[in-house]
This record gives sequence, structure tokens and C-alpha cells, in this order.
Amino acid sequence: MIELKNITKSFQNGTIKTDVLKDVTFGVQRGEFVAIMGSSGNGKTTLMNILGCMLKMSGGSYALDGVDIETLDDDQLSDLRNKKIGFVFQSFNLLDGTSALDNVLLPLVYAEEYPDDARERATQLLESVGLGDRIHYKPGELSGGQHQRVAIARALVNDPAIILADEPTGNLDSESVREIMDILKRLHKQGKTIILITHDINIARYAGRTVFLRDGKIYNEEVSK
Amino acid sequence: MNITKNIIISQKILLVHKVRTVLSLSGIIIGICAVMIMVSIGKGTEAKIISQITKMGSNVLVVNAGQVKIIAGRARQTKSVTTLEPRDALSIIANSSNINYAVPAQNKKLQVKYGNLNTTTNIVGTTADILKVRNYALSKGKFFDADEDKGSRRVAVLGQTVVENIFGQENPVGEMIRIGRVPFEVIGVLAPKGLDMNGADQDDQIVIPLKTALRRLFNLTYINAIYVQATDITSMGRAESETRTVLREAHHIRTGKPDDFTVQNQVSVLEAQRESSRTFTLLISAIAAVSLLVGGIGIMAIMLISIKERIKEIGIRRAVGAKKSDILIQFLAESLLLSIGGGIIGIILGITIAVIIAIFANWPFSLSLNVVAISFLSTIIMGILFGVYPAQKAAQLDIVKALQFE
Ligand SMILES: Nc1ncnc2c1ncn2[C@@H]1O[C@H](COP(=O)(O)OP(=O)(O)OP(=O)(O)O)[C@@H](O)[C@H]1O
Ligand SMILES: [Mg+2]
Repeated sequence: MIELKNITKSFQNGTIKTDVLKDVTFGVQRGEFVAIMGSSGNGKTTLMNILGCMLKMSGGSYALDGVDIETLDDDQLSDLRNKKIGFVFQSFNLLDGTSALDNVLLPLVYAEEYPDDARERATQLLESVGLGDRIHYKPGELSGGQHQRVAIARALVNDPAIILADEPTGNLDSESVREIMDILKRLHKQGKTIILITHDINIARYAGRTVFLRDGKIYNEEVSK
Repeated sequence: MNITKNIIISQKILLVHKVRTVLSLSGIIIGICAVMIMVSIGKGTEAKIISQITKMGSNVLVVNAGQVKIIAGRARQTKSVTTLEPRDALSIIANSSNINYAVPAQNKKLQVKYGNLNTTTNIVGTTADILKVRNYALSKGKFFDADEDKGSRRVAVLGQTVVENIFGQENPVGEMIRIGRVPFEVIGVLAPKGLDMNGADQDDQIVIPLKTALRRLFNLTYINAIYVQATDITSMGRAESETRTVLREAHHIRTGKPDDFTVQNQVSVLEAQRESSRTFTLLISAIAAVSLLVGGIGIMAIMLISIKERIKEIGIRRAVGAKKSDILIQFLAESLLLSIGGGIIGIILGITIAVIIAIFANWPFSLSLNVVAISFLSTIIMGILFGVYPAQKAAQLDIVKALQFE
């Protein structure tokens, strides 16, 4: 479903050029749970931003569902993010001062059509991540683990095929980490394609396959049982 | 995108900074407020002038000695001229067919005494016909008649203000007063007329027979005004030219030489007033335009600040599928909401103040719906005009950088 070939990405800051991704080639099958591992500063987030169609790559090709991303304009990329990709970030990225419910509803605001059962759908998703009693709480009134569960519900509200999670447990205590990883595991079982970025080998174990990123290249793939 | 849904979610954020929001709207509020107040003051004064003219009698021409110039909407005599005489009034009546009355008058400010109270007031010497020409009515006693004028009798009819100043609650009719050094008998009191169109108190005067005034009080042979009443309002133009012809002839003014008098038509006084209020309106429009401009810049500033504070929010919205145009519309809607809010506050505040002014200035409150509509429309234009740049800026933000912004 995802096909990356010889992806490169470099940042130009004044005269300094940083080559972050040098030659990234790999694919993800529909329904797979893939972990991308690498130490800090290796370009994991950069790779995810490219996968999430939020960042233009410098070279190579990226096909999603057989569509060459390079051929899409900004509006089409926005639609694609809205329909096919659900993001889960390390820093949660919820709207402050906005209730859990409204946060979950946000992607639907930008959907082609705002569904009649939007509220029911969002409420149900919040229930499924164990926040049924907190739908009107604002981020300031929720714990870190609860933030991330709201973010997951938001990622799911448009029923995307792919969940992109960038160190979703990076800011959480071990109890919350288990909860979040259990939710991701459950989603995988329900048929979602999940790409999980982490530098923690214990987290990577949840995935069916782990891709290692080092020096801007994929150097090893490991399939776990 | 579902616009209303989007706006509902995003506007909750704007309300967090209420004070800042209201402050930044002050320009628009003041601008709109000024327009409301000024337009209603303009309408109020005009309504008042029209009612004054109706009181004065709309078919009355005023002949003043010398040249009268309209300065800032008020008629002012430039210098004193001695050529206008009581017999000119008689000539006007005798030589015209469109004129009912021509009433001569001379006035001077003098001190008036009753017992140990005194006041300085305007002493008007005129004839009995003034009653009909200037719509005077009496609240007490009687007016002097032609015989009392002919006999240079020392009788006086007081305005209400003069009565209040030197008699208080006492009935003045039959009492003796001194004007300058000369004793007069009070024979009547005029019904109150209020302020004239220049704001002068028309009740602060004493009317006495013209002959008495000229011979016994002023020691003059000339007058400074003749009130001419045309037969009706349609003959005003003819009455004016007849008056002019008669006076030029009586004063032996050769063709080509300027008049030594001025004929004022009440309608032209109204015109002059309108002219000066037009200048006023222009000035106000300029002030309104400037404050609206400042208001627009205020909106732009608050939008730029608000966008800076919400970079992360923009990143989040873009990540979950907002197009550039969605962000643009969102912030444009916000600046529109701000400016319309400011406009509505300005309109309500302006109308409130205008009503209060109308109560104190004692004129009818009026404001055309057009002005309100135009003001409202201009706030909408402001909101769009000054919202486009910040909204455009927000829409063009880099998604990844916006998301990582702390
Ligand atoms: N906009 C940018 N301009 C310049 N350099 C950048 C930019 N974004 C990222 N980089 C650089 O690219 C490299 C990889 O960054 P990235 O955030 O992808 O790493 P990461 O693997 O996600 O690290 P971490 O595990 O700490 O999140 C870093 O050295 C970073 O400094
Ligand atoms: Mg990272």
C-alpha cells in the first residue's frame, strides 16, 4: 500500500546543507504493523512527515495506494491526509481550550461531508479508548495518557486506512504506555495499517516487522513472530 | 469543509482574550459611533432650524442695514450703516404689491432696573405690526398699539427671561422699570419663544415703541432692520426684488453700485445652514474614515497576534486535512466577526449617545436607516480588507514547522 523508492531529504539552512534521508527504500503492506526504529536525530520524524504528506521529499518516489504523491497538489494532499491517514504525535497536538469531543470532531470538519452522526461517532471512539466519561474535558483537564487516547480517537474518526504514530508513548509513564500500545494492537487486529516510530526496542516488539533507520538509510529489517 | 462547524469550533478560542479583542476594536467602535452621533446631530439641528423658521414665519424677509455676511452659518452685520430709516418701511409698503407688512426695528443692549434688581438685555424698538410678522404672542397684559407708538409713550413689553431676572415670581404688568435712565411702564409679557436658530435666547428682550426708542432712549434717527412679510410663500422672490428696488431708489443708489442693505430670505438662511452643515459632514466623514482605517489596522494587528499565538493550531488543522483555503476562510471569518462585532457595538453606542444628546439639546432624534446600513457595510468591508493579509499568512504556513512550533 505504501511504496518508497530511494527517498532523499536534505534541509538547506543558509549555507549549511543537512542530508537527513539519503536512500530510503521500503514498502508497507495493507494491514501491516511496522515499527521504524532509530536513535534520536536519525530522521525518523522527517520520514514520517514525508509519509504523512506534510513534507516534500528531495528525491525518490512515494506511491500511496498506487498514486504517485508527486502528482498531487496541495489541496489533494490535504484531502488525502484527511481521508487516508490518522496521525498520533509524541506531543499529542490537541487544540487547547477545546473539548475532547471537539478535538475528535476536527478531522470531520474538513471532510467532504460533515456526517449527521458525527457526535455519536466521536463519542463512541472516545468510549472505545476509555474516555466515555470525559468527552467534555479540555486538554488541560486530562492526563498525558488521556491526551494521547483523545489523539488516537481523533486519528480514527475519519476511518483512515493508515495510522502514523510518531513516538506516541515518548511522553508517557509505563502504565499509559501499555494502555496506548494495547489500543494500537487492537486497531491492528481490526485491520488498520500501522506505522509506529520509536527508539524503544520494547515498543517496537508490538509490531510485526521493524525497520531500522541509520545514517539516512534502511539497513536492516527484522520480522518478529 | 463545513464552514459553520469550523467557525463554531474556532470562535471559542477568540473569546478567551476578551479584553484584548475589545481594545483592538476601539478604532472601529469610535469610527462608527462618531458617524451615528454626527449624522443624528446634523439631522437634529436641521429639524430645529426648520421649526425655528416656521416660528419666525416662513414668508418673512429680513432687511438689515449695511452688508450682512454669513460667517460660519450665522448672519453678521459687517459695519453700522445709518441710511436705513423708519420711512423706508413705509415706502416699501406703499410701492409694492406682494407685501403685507414692513416693520422697522432698531435694537440696543441696555441696563434695565426694577427696584434694586437689574439686568442687561436687548431693547427692541419697533411698531405694533411686529406682532403679526414675527408671530409674537402675549402671556400677560397687552402689546402697545399704533397710537402709543405715535405718542412716543414709555411703555414696555417684556420677554420671559427679563421677567424672571428682575421680577421673579411677581406680576410685572403695571409696574415701572427703568431702561437706562428712562422710566417705562410694563404693559405686557411675551409668551416664551425659546432659542433662535443661532442659539440666542429670544425671550431675553424688551419690546418698546420705535419712536420712543429712537427719540427717548437711543437718540438715533436710523434703524438697523425691517421685517418684511410677503403676501404668501410663493411671492417671496417678488417681494424681495420689490423691497430691493424701493430701497435702492429711496437711498439714491446708482446702478452698478452695491446695496447699502441686505435682504435675507429665511429659506436662504436655511440654505446657508445646510451649506455649513455639509462642510461639517465632510469633516466628520474624514474623521470617521481615519478612525475606520485605524480600526482596520487594529483588526489586522489583533489577527496577526492571534495567528502567531495559534501557529500550532494551524499546523494541527492542516495535518488533519484542512486546505489552505480552509485556513484562509477561518481567519477571514474571524476578522469579519471581529469587525462586525465592533460595528454593532459602535452603532448601539452611537445611537445611545445620539439619543442622549437629542434629549439634552431638545430636538427630535433621527437617524436614517441608510446611514446605519452603510456603516455596517463598511465594517464588513474593513473586516475583509484588513483580514486578507493575516489570513493569507496563516494559510501559507509550513505544516511541519507549524506543528513543531512551541
Ligand atoms: N527544518 C529543518 N531544517 C534543518 N534541519 C532539520 C529540519 N528538520 C529536521 N532537521 C534535522 O534533521 C535531523 C533529523 O531530524 P528528525 O526530527 O527527523 O529526527 P528524529 O529521528 O525524529 O529524532 P528524535 O528521535 O529525536 O525525534 C536532525 O538532525 C534535525 O536537526
Ligand atoms: Mg522525532
